[in-house]
Amino acid sequence: MEALEKGHQFSATSFVLDEEAVARYVEAVEDEALPRLAQAEGKAWVPPMAVAALALRSLMEEMVLPAGSIHVSQELEFVRAVEAGERITCRAWLSHRSQRSGWWVLTVEMEGADEAGQPVLAGRSTVMVP
Amino acid sequence: MSQEAIGKERWVVGSEVPSVARTLSQEKIDRYARASGDFNPIHVDAAFAAQTPFGGTIAHGMLLLAYLSEMLTAAFGQAWLSGGRLKVRFRGAARPGDLVTARGRVQRVEGQRGVCSVECLNQQGEVLIAGQAEVKL
Repeated sequence: MEALEKGHQFSATSFVLDEEAVARYVEAVEDEALPRLAQAEGKAWVPPMAVAALALRSLMEEMVLPAGSIHVSQELEFVRAVEAGERITCRAWLSHRSQRSGWWVLTVEMEGADEAGQPVLAGRSTVMVP
Repeated sequence: MSQEAIGKERWVVGSEVPSVARTLSQEKIDRYARASGDFNPIHVDAAFAAQTPFGGTIAHGMLLLAYLSEMLTAAFGQAWLSGGRLKVRFRGAARPGDLVTARGRVQRVEGQRGVCSVECLNQQGEVLIAGQAEVKL
């Protein structure tokens, strides 16, 4: 964690949630509401929390948090609905770093954008790292 | 109770958002790990998790947030998918066998946004996640 200074910019990552991946996610979380909404509106909507989960996963892969790290809080804003097949690119940076009782407290902010560069998601995650 | 409508006509300040309840199992946690790509051993490796302060595997926090999101999707539809905001703290861990209930209540209207308190509880009534959600009116 010492190597991560406040303001550190993580590498941009991108991902696509295709219809198969969305179906897998919906089945895993047993979401009954999203498929109803998607059917009613005739759109292949992606559950907003699936977009957030994939964005966080790509970020955590780069941070390589040690075992025992604790996800303390999460803020999310879903700017617009995402459809299956869209490519989302995420940028993230370390906005806060401090030490408390022997733990590192890290806050990472992220933004997800579509292929036109328009925002679809924003988030702020705080983790405590031993 | 204020009769100020939020979104659809049936939402008024003080209304309870219809809850979502799910019983966790290790199989469901493993399935979520595969769907999300989050294979942190605290969630999927019983031997590893047994050596942690949790004493066993716990569910992904983002899995519980998915239950909150389902509740908000059912209640507010597109207003949640486009313009929804969530701010929560993770307060406790959910374990295989736990019955997790996501629930919420419309608290107030701030300008063009409705604000709901939201939380996830286990079967003992312990708060696992607490915070607030906002949707566009």
